Amino acid sequence: MFYLNQLPNQRENEKVVLFLRRHWFAILIIIVAFIFLIGVPLAVGWYFWETVQIWLSHPVIGPILVVICSIYFLSVWLMAFIEFTDYYLDTWIVTNERIINVEQEGLFHRTASELDLAAVQDTTAEIRGFLQTVFTYGNVFVQTAAEKSRFHFININDPEHVKEIITRLVEEDKKRTVSQGGSLIGKVKIVGK
Amino acid sequence: MFDIPNFSVPVLIFLMLYGAYLLLFLFYGLFNIYHLIRYGLYGFGLYLIITVFAGGTILLVSGSIFILMGFDWSQPIFLNNVIETYSKDLFKSW
Repeated sequence: MFYLNQLPNQRENEKVVLFLRRHWFAILIIIVAFIFLIGVPLAVGWYFWETVQIWLSHPVIGPILVVICSIYFLSVWLMAFIEFTDYYLDTWIVTNERIINVEQEGLFHRTASELDLAAVQDTTAEIRGFLQTVFTYGNVFVQTAAEKSRFHFININDPEHVKEIITRLVEEDKKRTVSQGGSLIGKVKIVGK
Repeated sequence: MFDIPNFSVPVLIFLMLYGAYLLLFLFYGLFNIYHLIRYGLYGFGLYLIITVFAGGTILLVSGSIFILMGFDWSQPIFLNNVIETYSKDLFKSW
């Protein structure tokens, strides 16, 4: 478990400015899929209730049907939970010093990466398509000089606003570095002598 | 012509299959909860998610076990002409 006031490798005077997850639309998709996968078999069972009753009273078909249905409903429940965990653990934390990206890809793959604000060259916000325009969500790409050129914020709420905040933080970080007697050589921040 | 003996297996084999599935479910469920506790952000939401999942799982599993307890698991499934034997019962009301 981690706390926003105790980030991994937290630096002195580092403060969390933004804590981001994917837009709530991602949750809506999980909920709709869950209701559909649970609701359709229940509705079919309700419609053919007489047949289902005959099957359930059968000494061989009855137990097999209950086992198959139990496995099906438990699987849907588990998949919904795994998808939700994937959503819940995908986070982006923007501080006044760096950007931290934690991505959960499935159950056995987790990536945590961080980017110093001094390495940021350019920030781009993207809202593409009907749904993203209506619900005001989209992507933010943070361009760096490194080989892995872009840091992606995927399907976040109000990407334009996030872009503005990151741009402002990058400027402030550069000013602070210079005022502390440091210099910006290339994309590497050097503080002190 | 050959006279094929009438093979049969007990319905219990499906209960064992369900038991094996429950073990797999338990593994994935607990692993997921571990992930949430280990990497999730501290807060009320985290406890709520885990409680909802655990509560839902207990309801589903106990409900299915309650229904499954009512069956006679020693009933044999005759493997010879299995479709012909049970298709009449499957579509009795149609």
